[in-house]
Amino acid sequence: MKNRILIIAIVFSAFISCRKDKNVIDGPSISETYSTFKIIQAFQADKSAVDFSSGEKVTFSATFNKPVNWEVIVTGNTSKAKKVFTGDGKIINITNALWNGSTTKYPIFRVEDCIAKLVIKDVVDTFIVNVKITQPKKNEGLIIADFEAGLSSTWTKFIQSGASMDFKVKTDSFAPQGLKYLNMAGTVNWDYLIGLIDFPATAYGGNKTLPLEANPENVYFNCMVYGVPNTNQSSVLFQFKEDENSDGTINANTDDEYDYEIKVDWEGWKLISLKYSDIASLVNGAPATAKGNGLHNPDKIGKISMLHLANPNDGFASTKIDFIMFTSAKPLEP
Amino acid sequence: MYKKILILLLIVFSGLNVNAQTDRKVSFIGNARSLLNTNMLTVTDSFPDTVSIKKNNGGYALMDMGVLIKPNKNTEIMGMFRIRNEYGGFWGSGVSFDVRQLWMKGVVADAVRYQLGDINLKQTPFTLYNHHADQIDSLPAIFDLQRNIVNYDRFYMKNNTWRMQGANVDFGFSFSKLIKELNFSGLITRLNPTNFSTISDRLMAGGSVQLVQSKYLQIGYNVNSVFDVLGTIADSNVFKNSIQTVDWKIKKEINGNLFSLNGEVGSSKYFYSKDTLAPNLSDYFVHSYLQYFIPKWNLKVTAGYLNVGPDFRSIGAQSKDVNYNALPTYFNRYRNAQDVRPITLFDVIGNENIYNRTVTPTMMNSSQLFNNVMPFGLSTNNRVGGYGKIQYQNKNGIAANAEYYKLEEIRGQGSFALKSFEVYKVYVSVPVNKLINYSKVISIQLGMNMQTTKRSSSEAIENIDLKTLQLNAGLRFELFKNFDLIGGYISQNTKGNEFVSDRNTYNEITYFNIVNYNLTQEIFAGGFRYNFGTKTYLCLLYQQNKYTDKLGNNASFKMSQYGVIYNISL
Repeated sequence: MKNRILIIAIVFSAFISCRKDKNVIDGPSISETYSTFKIIQAFQADKSAVDFSSGEKVTFSATFNKPVNWEVIVTGNTSKAKKVFTGDGKIINITNALWNGSTTKYPIFRVEDCIAKLVIKDVVDTFIVNVKITQPKKNEGLIIADFEAGLSSTWTKFIQSGASMDFKVKTDSFAPQGLKYLNMAGTVNWDYLIGLIDFPATAYGGNKTLPLEANPENVYFNCMVYGVPNTNQSSVLFQFKEDENSDGTINANTDDEYDYEIKVDWEGWKLISLKYSDIASLVNGAPATAKGNGLHNPDKIGKISMLHLANPNDGFASTKIDFIMFTSAKPLEP
Repeated sequence: MYKKILILLLIVFSGLNVNAQTDRKVSFIGNARSLLNTNMLTVTDSFPDTVSIKKNNGGYALMDMGVLIKPNKNTEIMGMFRIRNEYGGFWGSGVSFDVRQLWMKGVVADAVRYQLGDINLKQTPFTLYNHHADQIDSLPAIFDLQRNIVNYDRFYMKNNTWRMQGANVDFGFSFSKLIKELNFSGLITRLNPTNFSTISDRLMAGGSVQLVQSKYLQIGYNVNSVFDVLGTIADSNVFKNSIQTVDWKIKKEINGNLFSLNGEVGSSKYFYSKDTLAPNLSDYFVHSYLQYFIPKWNLKVTAGYLNVGPDFRSIGAQSKDVNYNALPTYFNRYRNAQDVRPITLFDVIGNENIYNRTVTPTMMNSSQLFNNVMPFGLSTNNRVGGYGKIQYQNKNGIAANAEYYKLEEIRGQGSFALKSFEVYKVYVSVPVNKLINYSKVISIQLGMNMQTTKRSSSEAIENIDLKTLQLNAGLRFELFKNFDLIGGYISQNTKGNEFVSDRNTYNEITYFNIVNYNLTQEIFAGGFRYNFGTKTYLCLLYQQNKYTDKLGNNASFKMSQYGVIYNISL
């Protein structure tokens, strides 16, 4: 009996002593958290000049003696574009601060000198390195309109004759990409429509449908829209009209149309990206059944209509748009 | 013909009469309570508080009316409504009418018992159990008046159950040889409903098999699982927390004394099926205690061992009755800045607003002021150590209890140095009138509870030294027959330093905030109670609650309350 008790006690003790918690702790180290901040490895970039168009990337790095909330802000000296990386921890490296030339705050970067600034919460000092962009990032995809060549004659335009109408391509510092963008502004007090542009598929390679892949899960529609403060709220409605039998005619009763309304309720530029398969068919803004085969067929898009709308009772409406394009497999990351 | 009808009617009515006397098909049960109080607040601040309301008159009258229907000998149906009227409600604006409870239960084929609807559920201390970890063990009788209101309103049945909605079933088999009984029980309840977009239906299911070999040996297997129901929202990432345990009770009589060895071991898993950022936790626990009961000395001695892993998670056993994020009933904001008034001893004793009725679907916050050592009772994770208890109770009603816990962390919290904990508890209850042969009741209660938390590290910043001392005393003096003078005093002093952790949505620690305490809380209460019967009383109360924060983390304040409680149980 005594032996049995002894065996049970030994097994029991062995079971309990199996814990291996002595080399780990829960949460961050208190002694580190409350120690005086020090930089162990200085803030640096692995390149002083970078050609993003060829796929080059920049890695920022730094090491601290304790976990901190950090932020790396890269600012273009000319464009004032910004790329922001944020994180918590002791190390900045390729896993959390790898820059492929993309932008967080528009306009997008161009050929220019940039300053990367490291800001650490509760630390007064900031740390700076310089990076020169020799070539900006290339954005692959089918560009519908970047307005760099003005309004194409292959597009169909309709602009209302309201008051203070300014439906023109502009060249100024507002341009988020390249040098130009489309301004859409005016007062139309009898109709929601201020102006529209039709982008027919024939303007993009001469075919009756757009040269996109067939899988709607792989096709993303993107555009950059600017919200103007203190004006009547604008809506930008995109209508994707499919020509399912590729006969060059879009029949509203037998072909699918998918619609996406952007309610511009912000200030400044914003990138809108959506998967083509997620775009619904709308009638008067409400979801409806598509009239054609009911399948999203990006390779059958015969025309895209872009309408600038606003409530006619609310006065002057204004918005800007740029870089309307399709990308493959993922949203645009300009 | 008339005679025949008369005889028939007599037989029918006599039968009904017998039925009514022995087994009523419909019976009424209920409770009524009226509470009226006047509250006053005094704030001590560097600038005079000119914003907060300093006086509050309120109260309510309520009636719970229940109908218990027994359609047959094997079925019971219970429905209870609550009508509550706030004092000062105008033209019915303060009146509420709620369904307080609804359940049905019965026995199928004289073998399987079931209950559906509102049910009180409990399994083991590590699976599903309401530990009431922050409650004072020896609460003076005067505070019990308020405490009993909380217990009644929140369905705390003094047996560590949680009130839940669902179904449970139990049945058993008896044997003539080898084993005496084999009992099975199962439960299923819903912890939260889906919102059809981001929150899944979350259920709790559990079961137990208890093998009773004899009155000397009992072994059980218990399982409890909290899980999201796949498909109730589009996201296929589902949460699961499952616990499996084995418990035992071994008894042996030695020279007329009863020796028992009880315990439970088990393990838990806690994970999200698809979320790669979420922790995937698994751990185990061991709890075992020896108990020796010596009847001739009215003495029970207990020695226990506890080892609960840092990653042991059990939503059913680690839900707390007190919700420290809730707002207190009276003066919930104070100071010119309208800060949320901290939850004090006064609230923990008798404020039903801060108490949970049922298990929460996620892990809960605890309070370092009220229980820093075992905030989830025995199922507190990351604790290893032992405890001892001595309990004495004689025929005259003199009761004494002493407990000591010595525990340590298993895994450090922000430090490789481990915290050590000690708890000392003593309480005594003495019916003085029996000692001096006085006919009217005079009883005295005294209690002490001290908790210490310490950590010594090579890094001075990591050191912890926190001590909470709670003292209480209670008096009941029967002035006239059924008319009592009652009084009580509780003081709690918390002094030292600790770290309060910030946690992310997965309950992982992300930061440690340094906190220092030098806080004294005191409650004094006195009053008169007239007992109309064992379940009906009228009570006039005065109590004063003083909260003094010497470090100024929160502004100090004082609350006074005059109250009348009239309670009737049917």
